[in-house]
Amino acid sequence: MDLTFDHSFVKVNGIKMHVAEKSPSVVGNGAFDGVISRPVILFLHGFPELWYTWRHQMLALSSLGYRTIAPDLRGYGDTDAPESVDAYTSLHIVGDLIGLIDAVVGDREKVFVVGHDWGAIIAWHLCLLRPDRVKALVNMSVVFDPWNPKRKPISTFKSFYGDDYYICRFQEYGEIEAEFAKVGTERVLLELLTYRNPGPILLPKGKRYEDPVSLPSWLTDYDVKYYVSKYEKNGFTGPVNYYRNMDRTWELMGSLSNAQVKVPVKFIIGDQDLTYHMPGTKKYIENGRFKSHVPLLDEVVVIEGVGHFLHEERPDEISKHIHDYFLTF
Amino acid sequence: MEHRKIRGNVIDIHVAIQGPSDGPIVLLLHGFPELWYSWRHQITGLAAQGYRAVAPDLRGYGDSDAPAEISSYTCFHIVGDLVAVISALTENKVFVVGHDWGALIAWYLCLFRPDKVKALVNLSVPFSFRPVDPSVKPVDGMRAYYGDDYYICRFQEDGDIEAEIAEIETERVMKRILTYRTPGPIIIPKDKSFWGCKDESIPLPSWLSEEDIAYYVSKFEEKGFSGGVNFYRNFNRNNELLGPWVGSKVQVPTKFVIGELDLVYYMPGVKEYIHGPMFKEHVPLLEEPVVMEGVAHFINQEKPQEILQIILDFISKF
Repeated sequence: MDLTFDHSFVKVNGIKMHVAEKSPSVVGNGAFDGVISRPVILFLHGFPELWYTWRHQMLALSSLGYRTIAPDLRGYGDTDAPESVDAYTSLHIVGDLIGLIDAVVGDREKVFVVGHDWGAIIAWHLCLLRPDRVKALVNMSVVFDPWNPKRKPISTFKSFYGDDYYICRFQEYGEIEAEFAKVGTERVLLELLTYRNPGPILLPKGKRYEDPVSLPSWLTDYDVKYYVSKYEKNGFTGPVNYYRNMDRTWELMGSLSNAQVKVPVKFIIGDQDLTYHMPGTKKYIENGRFKSHVPLLDEVVVIEGVGHFLHEERPDEISKHIHDYFLTF
Repeated sequence: MEHRKIRGNVIDIHVAIQGPSDGPIVLLLHGFPELWYSWRHQITGLAAQGYRAVAPDLRGYGDSDAPAEISSYTCFHIVGDLVAVISALTENKVFVVGHDWGALIAWYLCLFRPDKVKALVNLSVPFSFRPVDPSVKPVDGMRAYYGDDYYICRFQEDGDIEAEIAEIETERVMKRILTYRTPGPIIIPKDKSFWGCKDESIPLPSWLSEEDIAYYVSKFEEKGFSGGVNFYRNFNRNNELLGPWVGSKVQVPTKFVIGELDLVYYMPGVKEYIHGPMFKEHVPLLEEPVVMEGVAHFINQEKPQEILQIILDFISKF
């Protein structure tokens, strides 16, 4: 149940951020409380998720001695969702996280980071912009995408996949929100969370969602209810705004052109993940280019038979990968 | 001297280059309302000492591209241009010299890409203009302190200052600004009194010739002032976007020089910042700041040989 996590709100970067935490319980007479500093892992969720997606890892790793911190990212869950659509560039999100890291460990220390989906994209940018705050990174599902002056994101997606590609359909402010409202929050979440097609997500207008969706073993009714409750309260605009800022972020990130990710990294991906099957990804991993951009890429793990939400599908395996890697620091 | 166009952050940047092709590169960044030309004395001086001086027209200025949208003039766009220019010329780190807006951009370049900068000489603008909490809107603070006629506030409204300047001769505008020596804020009331009477000529100091003025006038008449003014229109937006660097230090060896009569020296908090402990706290590799007596804002043009010597003395250490 939710009760085993500590929830708080932190003021960061001009917004109020909701943070869930699970840390080793302090046992003793208080003489050494606070003196022993425990390593901190910052968990970054993706779309359409929340801090909650990390519940298994937080329970497992806190029992191994880590302080585990998982925010709702800007626009999600119980964190503020600024009105302005252009307040969701990577720079905004990374700014939030620097504020959070400062609040958790002070402004000089580093943290471990674990990212998935949009959280992985943000983690790459966090490591590019402030490598001095990240001790090591376990990133999942989304490989590093170096800045390319010839590849403006949305037009690139359009040319690869067409107008019905979900990222293209997300661009027009209010449009997909209206369609999602018609389909219903629960159905939208179920469709996205159970997506196992290794191909791109296409959302043609007027698509019907009538076939019954059965829950996989790793997603319970309670889990779905939790997600639905938060998404029904806040809607999808905040989360979808990230996609609406991909071109804007690209424009701003020209200043990081050819910059390497100078943080130790372990990368994990499922071989049924749609991202693994995007054009160029397998080659990028195998032909050495990934390593040339991320020189401290220590390990790439491809897990057989696992889809996009790998940390929910194989929680113990992923927790072990994380712990094994961070132990080496 | 060579003039070239180099691909910047998806636009073309004009650069003036002089010096041996294998010389260590010194990137010289002008301010407002200036051009590569402001560095004319330092360019030839550096080249004569074996350095390769590279002075761009920043985005929006002179012979560089000037995108129409105000949103294309954040500090990220400008730093992006410079990163591309550096990468086009060398794989190594470069020396950077900045003045006014060029100095502010140079601070950001050092924050975002310490891998590109060997050492920095910054003129006029200290690091007190560093990233702070984005709920602070810098322009609102300036408005509260100096009023609506403060030049930075007058620059905010799209087209406003451009319309005013259009009614004054460009030559008068350039002379008025480049000869400004008041150790205090530039206040531009809407009655246009700041620019002086049409009949009153503005005498030039010894360090500024009519030919110099003519060069600036020709470029600004061609391009207009919007490009340069758009930098100011992004003050608040920049602060919003600089969240990742709140509390980040500049880890590049730095020499800082300011004129004693520079209006920047009299901006709120600046004197205390320069002479107090915080400048060194935020820029740990900062040498003792230099305040030049009797010198105003356009220090690299007013004292060209002194500034050249300061640059040479500093960068020769690396």
